[in-house]
Amino acid sequence: MTKLLEIKNLNKSYDGIPALNDVNLSIAPGQIHGLVGANGSGKSTLMNILFGSPVIHETGGYQGDIFFQGQRISLLNCAEAIAKGIGMVHQEFALIPDMTIGENIKLGRENTYHLTDRLFGRKYSLINRSQDYQSAAPVLQRMGINLELGIKILNLSTNIKQFVEIAREIARSDLQLLLLDEPTAVLNQSDAHKLMEILTEMAAAGIGILFVSHRLEEIQHICDTVTVLRDGKKVSQYEKADITINSLARDMIGHLVSKANAKKREPMLQPVITFHNFSVKMPGEEIKDLNLNIFEGEILGLTSLSGHGKLALGYGMMGLYPAAGMVTYENAGLSKMEARSNILKGMYVLPDDRQDLGILPEHSLEDNIIFTGNQIKNMFARNPAWGFLGFIDRKKAKQHVSQMIDDFDIKCSSSKQRVRELSGGNQQKVCLARALTVNPRLLFVAEPTRGIDISAKEKILQMLIDINRSVKTTIVIASSELDELKRVCDRIAIIVEGKLFKVLSPDSSDLEFGLALSGEEGAACAEL
Amino acid sequence: MPSFSMKLPQIIISTFLILLILLAYLLQMDLLVLFNESLVKLVMNGVLVLSLIPMLNAGAGMNFGLPVGIVGGLIGMCIAVNYRMTGFYGFFMSLFFSLLICIFLGWIYGLILNLVKGREEIAGTFIGFSFIPLMNYFWTLVPFTNRQMLYPIGGQGLRPKINLELYFYNILDHLWLVKIGGIEIPLGLLAFFGLLCLFLYLFFRTKLGRATAAVGENEAFARLSGLNVANIRLLAIILSTIIAGVGICVYTQSYGFIQLYDEPLSMAYPAISAILIGGSTGKRTFIFEAVLGTYLLQTMYLLTVPIANEILVPELTEILRTFITYSIILYALLIRDKRRSSR
Repeated sequence: MTKLLEIKNLNKSYDGIPALNDVNLSIAPGQIHGLVGANGSGKSTLMNILFGSPVIHETGGYQGDIFFQGQRISLLNCAEAIAKGIGMVHQEFALIPDMTIGENIKLGRENTYHLTDRLFGRKYSLINRSQDYQSAAPVLQRMGINLELGIKILNLSTNIKQFVEIAREIARSDLQLLLLDEPTAVLNQSDAHKLMEILTEMAAAGIGILFVSHRLEEIQHICDTVTVLRDGKKVSQYEKADITINSLARDMIGHLVSKANAKKREPMLQPVITFHNFSVKMPGEEIKDLNLNIFEGEILGLTSLSGHGKLALGYGMMGLYPAAGMVTYENAGLSKMEARSNILKGMYVLPDDRQDLGILPEHSLEDNIIFTGNQIKNMFARNPAWGFLGFIDRKKAKQHVSQMIDDFDIKCSSSKQRVRELSGGNQQKVCLARALTVNPRLLFVAEPTRGIDISAKEKILQMLIDINRSVKTTIVIASSELDELKRVCDRIAIIVEGKLFKVLSPDSSDLEFGLALSGEEGAACAEL
Repeated sequence: MPSFSMKLPQIIISTFLILLILLAYLLQMDLLVLFNESLVKLVMNGVLVLSLIPMLNAGAGMNFGLPVGIVGGLIGMCIAVNYRMTGFYGFFMSLFFSLLICIFLGWIYGLILNLVKGREEIAGTFIGFSFIPLMNYFWTLVPFTNRQMLYPIGGQGLRPKINLELYFYNILDHLWLVKIGGIEIPLGLLAFFGLLCLFLYLFFRTKLGRATAAVGENEAFARLSGLNVANIRLLAIILSTIIAGVGICVYTQSYGFIQLYDEPLSMAYPAISAILIGGSTGKRTFIFEAVLGTYLLQTMYLLTVPIANEILVPELTEILRTFITYSIILYALLIRDKRRSSR
């Protein structure tokens, strides 16, 4: 069988630090090749080399050979890669927000009017928009998305954007090799399934696919071959029949991961907070008329399909988006949803979007961890009476932060290291440490494991369980990772279209969850 | 401490500076005199440069609306001169009056900038442009009575240049002037500057200062952490305006004349240029960067004058200065946007 892509002895280093070390890999037409590895294992570097990203060239190029359809290639920029029939779906979207869905899909391959073609040349010709939309529509429909093609990208939710990005690649008739960099990271499970189907179809049509994902289940499900990278080296390669999640996970981190699991216990009954007709106007994640009791000391899972409102609850409490309705917290009504007063009352929110909401990237670990405690509760003040002109008691802060670094096993060079330089998992630990510093009674956590590699993921879940058990913090975890919620939570609330649909026990079957998530009653099943 | 490495603008300016010093030496100029003058120039312009820092750190961008604070300082000095306050009394009363006026002006300026979040720099530029003509009316109509300030003929409206000879000319420059051989070190002036730096340094260590830096770095984070972002930005803008007011007072006591009317308009650009040379990227900026940038830029200005007079056409000096000032701002904007897009 002729290979579509063959990589031989690929080496790449950044400033003398090796990112890839003698990597060999080949993909045949119609094959789905999985690529897994922990953060920093070299997956993205490999993708960048294959797609001709200028970053590679600017940092000194690479050593080794890449053969595409039998020819040795050396790509200097993405345009060359595209011309050769290589397509890439990026982890961060490469879409133009101010252009419509249709325009984005057809970008660079627009249908034009013949007359203007002849008059001004193809480059300056008028675009035939209706024909563009006509040819783009079937692609979207194939993916099960029925959307007006004239909607601008900036008005779309994250998962739809991901589909548009994939549609752009699928719509290319000359596509030979598709590179996917964690396309499912922002999708929920049902959308991810949909994507898997599409990829299988594409492979059947003879397109080679290189698929990077943190979700090992997906890899096992669709890949014909899997390569595992660790610290830039190829550790192992498995064929379809031999792929097991455990072996992948072991190879990725070099040892087995023990999964976090909370012991089952008696249900709590004392409500700590009660929402009555609570609404949050968060664009794309709206909550409407939510009625929900959260019990003291429990871990409550909050899940929904994306866009149905699971993320909005915490943000609404902090006044990030306009909220309305009645909330009773510790037997007293809450009059206003405002971050400062609610943090003082013992609530805290860890956001899903770490980069934009969760950290001060240029500040040190220490500053990040003590920030809220210092600002809101005036902790670590050298002289508390000085108020907003007070300085920090560095010694006390340092002591606390070293304790946190030890407790949470945060990997850093020192407490003065900038948070920007830490990996996603360690940043999340910093966020958790900051939350614990204010000692909240009620902690909202949104997507705590998003974009974090598998071993750090379990550590963070275990930390949440430990916090709950040791300091009796009530925790609400909003997540789309049903499997994680089932292992950690006491109860799981399902939100459908911004309303509480059902509260299920974590022991409920996948079928029940599936039905509930899509808003089907399925009462018969539940009774059985 | 910030980690410091030479960046392109600093390398260019430093090379140019070394070249100038070499030339000055070859042309047998008095290097000691030039050095003495460079210390004065540092403080003369340095306070205005420092005034940019609170706004930069609060994420409100480079203060192209610097004329607002400068006008506050000018009014303060005019009041002091009008009531014939002289010496230290006059200088410190000027500072006091400008403080009051700058709080008011900064408050309004801040309210406007809070409305145009993300576009503060362009908004600031035009606030400056529109504020100056308005103030031109003020200068002509204000009922001051000190004849030394008014137009000699007609006796109404302030002169474009008010001589400070009899009031507080060089009051800081000549304070504790230490002479060692040919070197003159204006200790008083440097101490005043040092105190301001210390004040700013300490401010950013306080709870409020830390909140300001957090707002500048990640506004959404600050809001989620329960900070009142609008108020903190407003405070930073007021603080910047106040220091700009102090800055013009220091500048003027060195220069010797209160310069009114259109003069404040062009003062923002050398200050911004200086902080960029120091290494600021339009975000969090350290005091050290402001001081370094000011010294490099001002010393270069200082050297170009006599050298250009000696070997080139005299008019070229002004052209060179303007060219350097503006091209550095342009360069900084270019690399900043490149960084943004590469993210």
